[in-house]
Amino acid sequence: MAGLDWPTDYLRAHVPHLAIVSLLALYPSIYHLLANSLGLYEAEILLPGVETMTAVLYFGLFAMSFDFISGYTGYLSFGHAAFYGTGAYTVILVANGAVPLLGPGTPFVVSLLVAGLLAVLLALVVGLVSFRLSGVYFAMITLGFAQVLYVFIRGWDYVARNPRDGPSVGPTHSEGFQLGVPGVDQLNVAIGVLTGDEVTMLGHTLGGTAVSYYAIGAVVLLCYFAMQRIIHSPFGRVMIAIRENEERAVAIGYDTYRYKLAAFAVSGFFAAIAGGLFAGFRRSASPENSFYFLTTGDALLASIIGGFGTLAGPLFGRLFDETVREFLSKSGQGGGLLPYLRAGLGEETLSTPVVGNTSLGTLIDTLLNGHASLYIGIVFVLFVLYVPDGLLGTVRQRVGGKLAHVSAVRFGDGSTANATTDDATGEEE
Amino acid sequence: MLRTRGLTKSFGGLVAVDDVDFELGTELCSLIGPNGAGKTTFFNLLTGVLEPTAGTVELRRDDAWDDITDASPHETAQRGIHRSYQVTNVFPNSTVLENVRIAEQAAGNDSTALWRNVDHFEAYAERAYAKLDRVGLSHRAEEAASTLSHGAKRKLEVAVALAGDPAVLLLDEPNAGVSSESVDEVRDLIEDVAEDHAVLLVEHNMDIVMDVSERVVVLHQGAVIADGPPEDVRSNPDVQSAYLGGYEPGSLDDGAASGDPEGGLS
Repeated sequence: MAGLDWPTDYLRAHVPHLAIVSLLALYPSIYHLLANSLGLYEAEILLPGVETMTAVLYFGLFAMSFDFISGYTGYLSFGHAAFYGTGAYTVILVANGAVPLLGPGTPFVVSLLVAGLLAVLLALVVGLVSFRLSGVYFAMITLGFAQVLYVFIRGWDYVARNPRDGPSVGPTHSEGFQLGVPGVDQLNVAIGVLTGDEVTMLGHTLGGTAVSYYAIGAVVLLCYFAMQRIIHSPFGRVMIAIRENEERAVAIGYDTYRYKLAAFAVSGFFAAIAGGLFAGFRRSASPENSFYFLTTGDALLASIIGGFGTLAGPLFGRLFDETVREFLSKSGQGGGLLPYLRAGLGEETLSTPVVGNTSLGTLIDTLLNGHASLYIGIVFVLFVLYVPDGLLGTVRQRVGGKLAHVSAVRFGDGSTANATTDDATGEEE
Repeated sequence: MLRTRGLTKSFGGLVAVDDVDFELGTELCSLIGPNGAGKTTFFNLLTGVLEPTAGTVELRRDDAWDDITDASPHETAQRGIHRSYQVTNVFPNSTVLENVRIAEQAAGNDSTALWRNVDHFEAYAERAYAKLDRVGLSHRAEEAASTLSHGAKRKLEVAVALAGDPAVLLLDEPNAGVSSESVDEVRDLIEDVAEDHAVLLVEHNMDIVMDVSERVVVLHQGAVIADGPPEDVRSNPDVQSAYLGGYEPGSLDDGAASGDPEGGLS
């Protein structure tokens, strides 16, 4: 094949990926069209808002970094929230001028990278101790490290006036974080719910939230590509070998300790980038939504739902999680199921008694008001029982092989053998 | 190629390997002994899985003896001592080819490459394919290793051990659990790999041991009680009593299993 052909070949081989990225890129417009222009109330209820989608992206990146170490080497990193928190706190503290050598004017991209490098250091320290253990002991010791950090950060009044509530970006940095190429104004956009730039392009104005969605989405995509390349490199194959049978990996000559440590560092780096994006978008962080172990729990949930060891799966898992949560909770931007039922059923229907003296309205309230987590828990149990490979894992098993085969035959690029290899190992991206 | 001096391993009061002086040349040498004689422990000492209580393990390289007593398992593998396992030990969800390819990769210097797609490193796959060809599994290269039959997995074990072209091959019961039809195939395979590798074979099937070995070492209660050509060892009275332990002759199940009433060592 001529060298010039490779972009076309690459795109041909990645049609499903291209479709998903395009869909995500068009999402704000689709949402706007359905919910606002056409005024479809149902669309507003079913589809997550753009702000929620932004959260899906950065938290999805965190979940992917969790899957990178946990799903590919088989070492469950239950303390992963520590890296996410490191990223979030670093970005805010840099903006507040609280980090030595880095003034409040430090470009956002630079503070993201600094956050990533700090997380790498932290991962090496934690990993040096933790990788002496395996299985549940590894999970527990990483959890222990993260909880120590959580307790420490909750009590450290240097990071915020009230460390229990966590830091927020102060008056020294009142403008939004500029995401883009440092030093080139035209190549930067400000992100944040209220602080985001408005961009007018081709007569179409994007609001601050949509701009943040695209800017954060671009970084997440870049990080995904980086992790995906690593997964498909010789190094990535060693990671998979460790998951499959570590004793064997040692017997054929791999110093698995070093490979695990390196993979952990890479994973910590991307977790911190995710945390940094989160803090840049929200402009504040609390110990509860960053360093706390339930943050790791959410990443685990996303990985199980999306598919363990499928890299992109956790993003879809998070999307599923957030969509269901927003749909079932009353506070979602679009309204969710509860207000929809209240508005749609009418006062008369709602006051009809259904069980004894309980009216339908009270029943709906009891079942739906603030119980999203309960239903998410049930969904989680059902996933573990009936969809153990997760959304993406199952799709790949059912369709992936055929798709890969069909496209290989159709485009005759001779990659049939590779496609089958990937199907069998389930590592195809 | 490989030698031990006074190699000893005790677990509490039990001496599993007792002061073994052993030197492996380029010949096909078999290590036999009743169950619990210390054969697998001896293998684990050679490959660094276990640390000896006393004694040394040395590997000959460039006309000099290299002390590898304290080497870890991955280091011994990198230095060219590869082993196969008594209990099948593969990467179950990887393809047959990947099982060998990842072992070939271990012998190269590209395992820390983070950025290039693994398909760019074709040489490893080609070499792995050649190993599969040698053990007769190349037609199943793309199948998941877990789908192989037990006999085929044993062959895959040998192919993985061959990957990276080791100096010394330690084969731990390559015939364990193999169906009687496949025994001949595995025997041929052992003879084949012995042509260009130093092979130390642990085997319970005495027909195969006596057939393929150029030298037989007998381990009993951790100590070497006989060492020599198969026919000498077979007639060695110490060996006979160690194996038979005072029981009636002909009780060796290996002979019985192969349908030979006069089987065993007698």
